[in-house]
Amino acid sequence: MSLEELGKLVEDGETEEAQELAEKLLKDGTDPLKMIAEMTRTMARVGDLFAKLEIFLPEIMLAGEALSGVVEVMAPYLEAVGGRVVKGKIVIGVVKGDLHEIGKNIVKLILETNGFEVKDLGYNVDSLTFIKEAEAMGADFIGASSLMTTTIPRQKEIIELLKAKGIREQYKVVIGGAPTSQMWADQIGADLYCKDAKSAPELMSNLLNS
Amino acid sequence: MTTAYRHWEILERSQTGPFMDEDDFLPKHFTPTLKKLIKKYEIKYDPKNPCPTDDDMADRIWQAAWELFRDVGYYNTDSHRLIQVTDEEIREALYMAKDQYWVGGGKDAVLWKHRQIEDTAPPFCIMSPDITCDEQYHQSICMAYLKEPLLDGICGPILEKTFGHLIESSGPTEISGCIQHITNQKLAARLLGRPGTFMVAVGTAEHDSGQIAVSNDEWGVQKTDARLVGSLTEFKTADTLLNRSLHYAQYGCYTGNLTGAIYGGWCGGSEGTAVTTVAYSLIGLVIHGAIFNQHFPFHLNYGSNTTRELLWAISMAGQALARNSKLLHTSNGFANAGPMTEMLFRETAVHAMVSTVTGWHLWEMASTRNKYKNRATPLEARIGVEVGHAVARQGLSRAEVNDIAKRLLAKYEDDAADAPIGSEYHECYDVAKAVPTQEHYDMFRRIKDEIAEMGIEFPF
Repeated sequence: MSLEELGKLVEDGETEEAQELAEKLLKDGTDPLKMIAEMTRTMARVGDLFAKLEIFLPEIMLAGEALSGVVEVMAPYLEAVGGRVVKGKIVIGVVKGDLHEIGKNIVKLILETNGFEVKDLGYNVDSLTFIKEAEAMGADFIGASSLMTTTIPRQKEIIELLKAKGIREQYKVVIGGAPTSQMWADQIGADLYCKDAKSAPELMSNLLNS
Repeated sequence: MTTAYRHWEILERSQTGPFMDEDDFLPKHFTPTLKKLIKKYEIKYDPKNPCPTDDDMADRIWQAAWELFRDVGYYNTDSHRLIQVTDEEIREALYMAKDQYWVGGGKDAVLWKHRQIEDTAPPFCIMSPDITCDEQYHQSICMAYLKEPLLDGICGPILEKTFGHLIESSGPTEISGCIQHITNQKLAARLLGRPGTFMVAVGTAEHDSGQIAVSNDEWGVQKTDARLVGSLTEFKTADTLLNRSLHYAQYGCYTGNLTGAIYGGWCGGSEGTAVTTVAYSLIGLVIHGAIFNQHFPFHLNYGSNTTRELLWAISMAGQALARNSKLLHTSNGFANAGPMTEMLFRETAVHAMVSTVTGWHLWEMASTRNKYKNRATPLEARIGVEVGHAVARQGLSRAEVNDIAKRLLAKYEDDAADAPIGSEYHECYDVAKAVPTQEHYDMFRRIKDEIAEMGIEFPF
């Protein structure tokens, strides 16, 4: 029974077994911060495998579920040592008129497994809804995804609405999706463009700490 | 006449079928069913052979695809219900499907027929940049594609702006952009003396309202043309999509079903991508009444389908469809590299030869991962359809194509992740005359000669 075994169970997406082992390890006195560190290493490994498509989306989703299960078990133990460090809060969704959400779902998972608190707004999300949800959450970021050239103007619309409401500086706007680019991000005044899911956590952390 | 299959019964099921939470549909229903079927039918990817010769596996993939559709159903994200069909209904729809259609009008009409594996009849060739372009180049690009001699049908570039306004899906700019799109395309066909050319239009429409706005036999999309209806990944639809297939059927034009199973996504690997692609053809027929299926399975990371994992899936899906149905299906190439690069010509050639020999018709070519504006030209499509014609007329076997494909793959496969994005249309075409620059044409000719030396006998 070790943290490495727990990591393997999470990697294999075995939620129930991982939860049972986590509970046992914690009761036996394992440092929850060490467990968090092991989970971070595990998900980095899983993320790398997925980036190279040595595993596929269903496998990383299962690993993500198992991780959530373990985090749930760890919650009271983490509270006792000061709580889990949240790297940032984000509302994320696919813009209005766009029904393609696979990319957004991958980004959501990668962010969650890297210590971000994520509120998923789904797809076909009105621009004002992004803002209202960000306000309600006290988010640091608004993440807007788009797969179609005819829906990327909605990313710009979010920024324009933030300006119109006089709260542009309160949120970092992150954009992504197949037709988007750094050039488009610059053009609409987005704070960050992520070309893929894997790069998002580090780029967002850097932006928040800059 | 189309193969439209009981539209109202299907639509009713999208309101009354079994409820399922959307969050559960893919992870708990679609993927586990697919995995079970891949195991049951012993479907196995072979990275050594991008174009295998395996009739038995093709038939097993067909059977797995049939059961996938029957057992999973098709999920409507608006009603949260599953549209389910029976074996009898699939059999009836396949029996009623025709194996050939006249498309296009007048002297430009073309008979589009089902193809077999290693068929000596050339593929039906639709050319499309599949990409957005600046408004100022739209007319020229339409002209340039319509100048291609082997073009049987066109799907024009997508407008980003209309009269200077950024097009927004479901808004007035989309309606305007769609009308501008079809007007440019029809005018280009008339100016070039092929006014009845078959068109698949309009790609500028993301929302159903944009498609409906261009249904007009005098100036818009005619009844001799086709329109596409897509799916949401994977096996999901929505009312805005069902609106389309109903409108196309009631308007009276042809319907094509547009799907791209994602390698690395919910389908998993090559095996799941092949099975899902075949199942989409059944969905197109039964759910949407499509006369053809337009498939572009693609790599989750690259957004392309010219590497061997995808070529294998395309090849096996084509063989499964050709051997077990009389349906029409186009193979839509997605390349990593951009225009006026040797890599793009090689990628397109490989995609076209593997598709042609396994029974597909051709839809060439989305360049530069279908991501960058203005980065697609007719010249890469030309090499694809010339290869397709050559492979068919020459009567090449799957094994022979497999060998040539491997030699070409060796020249570009390692560069897939960092492929060059090449040039924009106006940098490698004379915009006013809509013809390639000499430098661009010389590169095309050089790679064509290279492919000819590998054993492809071009007719001209």
